[in-house]
Amino acid sequence: MFSIATLRREWLSNPRGDILAGIVVALALIPEAIGFSIIAGVDPKVGLYASFSIAVIASLVGGRPGMISAATAAIAVLVVPLIREHGVEYLFAATILMGVLQVIAGFLRLDLLMQYVSTSVVTGFVNALAILIFIAQLPQLINVTWVTYAMVAAGLGIIYLFPRLTRAVPSPLVAIVALTAVSIYGGLGVNTVGDMGQLPSSMPYLLIPDVPLTLETLRIIFPFSLTMAVVGLLESMMTAQIVDELTDTPSNKRRECKGQGIANFATGFLGGMGGCAMIGQSVINVKSGGSTRLSTFVAGSFLLFLIVVLGPLVSQIPMPSLVAVMIMVSIGTFSWKSITNLKTHPWQSSVVMLATVVVVVWTHDLAQGVLAGVVLSGLFFASKVKSLFTVTSDLSADGSCRTYRFSGQVFFASTELFTDAFDFREVLDRVVIDMSDAHFWDISAIAILDQAVLKFRREGASVEVVGLNEASASMVGRFAVHDAPDTSKNTNGH
Amino acid sequence: MKRILACIDASSYAASVCELTAWAATRLEASVELLHVVRRKDAVAARKDLSGAIGLGVKSELLEELTRIDEAEGKLAIENGREMLAKAEKLLIAGGVSEINRLLRHGRVVDTIVEREADADLVVIGKRGVTSEFDSNHIGSRIERVVRASVKPVLIASRKIQTPGIAVVALDGGSASLKALDFVVASPLFTGMQLHLVAAGPKGTADKSWFVKAYSKVVDRSPSCIIHIADGAPQKVLGDYMSARRDAILVMGAFGHSALRTLIFGSTTTTMLRTVRAPVLLVR
Repeated sequence: MFSIATLRREWLSNPRGDILAGIVVALALIPEAIGFSIIAGVDPKVGLYASFSIAVIASLVGGRPGMISAATAAIAVLVVPLIREHGVEYLFAATILMGVLQVIAGFLRLDLLMQYVSTSVVTGFVNALAILIFIAQLPQLINVTWVTYAMVAAGLGIIYLFPRLTRAVPSPLVAIVALTAVSIYGGLGVNTVGDMGQLPSSMPYLLIPDVPLTLETLRIIFPFSLTMAVVGLLESMMTAQIVDELTDTPSNKRRECKGQGIANFATGFLGGMGGCAMIGQSVINVKSGGSTRLSTFVAGSFLLFLIVVLGPLVSQIPMPSLVAVMIMVSIGTFSWKSITNLKTHPWQSSVVMLATVVVVVWTHDLAQGVLAGVVLSGLFFASKVKSLFTVTSDLSADGSCRTYRFSGQVFFASTELFTDAFDFREVLDRVVIDMSDAHFWDISAIAILDQAVLKFRREGASVEVVGLNEASASMVGRFAVHDAPDTSKNTNGH
Repeated sequence: MKRILACIDASSYAASVCELTAWAATRLEASVELLHVVRRKDAVAARKDLSGAIGLGVKSELLEELTRIDEAEGKLAIENGREMLAKAEKLLIAGGVSEINRLLRHGRVVDTIVEREADADLVVIGKRGVTSEFDSNHIGSRIERVVRASVKPVLIASRKIQTPGIAVVALDGGSASLKALDFVVASPLFTGMQLHLVAAGPKGTADKSWFVKAYSKVVDRSPSCIIHIADGAPQKVLGDYMSARRDAILVMGAFGHSALRTLIFGSTTTTMLRTVRAPVLLVR
């Protein structure tokens, strides 16, 4: 894994493109780091240190070269109550525990659970994320003068129109620089970054979170750490998939899990908030030509350089320009195709997608949204598979024996279909249930077969179950009541 | 039936790989699998776009655009690969090989070779690939990786090939070189060829137990084998011996020492590959 050839490929296969892309990405990281520190209710330096440390560490130990990780919206919206009630030191402690949980998840191979997250849920997730990023900008847009709106509009105008002139310069940078100049010389009186809290003036240093090491502390931070860990891994795995697709290269998801964990663990000790991979910034990275670990590394270190060296200038940046950049990230993250797809996709997929979005926007918790989406898609799947089930039957010539032939899948959702297939009121001597083409999936399926057999027996018919395939037969052998020699005794009183 | 995996790319070494493969295939009565790996750049396609702005539908648009660029390059690469294989096949047929299987694969060069060599008895490859073709003081970056990763004997073609007439076996007392000797004695590749045992060492090396053991392995098969022992660095002794004999093929055990030692002292194998301008057979 660590051969020189691999190192060279993952770091140096395209240094020029990677360094340029890293610089472009660093500029897109600043607004997000500052913006979400403000959402979370902490000083911008908490987000900026976190973005630096997560990006740099993830570039070293992550499993997806070219993916950008930093302080994100998804995590920031989760920790608001923790900071409000207990203070920022608890955030650092929660971040450290989050990292530990993610490393454990990596060892337990929980990344494999991503297989059960359907495309519709992923689409719902990115849309919800885009909406969260947008909503997070609203506090900057409410109760402000028209100047703010004008600046946001101007910022968006520059971001989207400037690339028509030249693509050699990052247009978000142009927007930020232009609007900062206007606001300094024009004395416009809009909020600046400096108004929002303390900016870093030095390199981050090691600290131990100032929290009592008690069970009480654990009780406070654990629920937060768990949700942060889950949301962080979800967004990271989804982003990794997007980068895999864009670059057409494989990634090591397990290593990414652990990498995210290590990055968050260390970030907690550097006074940073938790983070994860970022969809928008990773797309910007690939779009700008970045694809190796080097670009992520450059993004993180250039970010810190900018902040520490140009700190006084950064504090002059007007908030509306950062809002414009974040609106751009939100637009770029949203899957606009999913809106037109609502008409063409099966209604179940659309419901899953929308349910994911609604739950996330309602709870501000991406994990709950994904859970809702996964459960719903599971239900829809079960209801579809349920219909893969047919019954035919025929009566023997003398009218004393009926053969039921089942084919398809029998499981917990099939109970009703299965029982409805039998006519228990028909008077018969013998019933043959032919299962040659059917498969029994769980003990619910066995239970309904049991029920049917016993019911026929009570009506005085002898019942024979034939043609069980091997897997089904072993289930029946282990769990069914009707084949046990003392059946009648067992069912007494039922 | 034995099988030879011959790996070619666009470099001028392809011709000598074919020549050497034809020589080996006729001696081993082997079939040949002719492999070319179509590679794509590791980096994403450069689009000279540093605008950093992302708008509506950026993910799908970007994916489509990157696919388009890669598709055009990929088609060309496949086309070239097919031509290369066809040309190589002609050379092999002219060299007397009857059973040839052309194979074009996507992927990384080293990984693909290691994957395909599982069914082969011998791997033939050029000393340098197209990326380092004219860098004649260095060996290609992938050769060492192929040889280190490979478990099969690897035959490395130099740019110009003379049909091998004698086999020079390098001995240093290590187990790798004894294995190489075993291979030479057993393989029909060297039937009827005169063997030269070459070692570097002070006077009396010939009486050392490892040398006696090595000699005893050979003497039954080829009583007329020639022994050459000279004092000096192994690289120099072998280099001089080889450059005096144009029709020789050098056989050596590959990378007998640990990676750490190699890092500090350099590898004899690598040095020999670099300096010897004749085919080299490396036996793991």
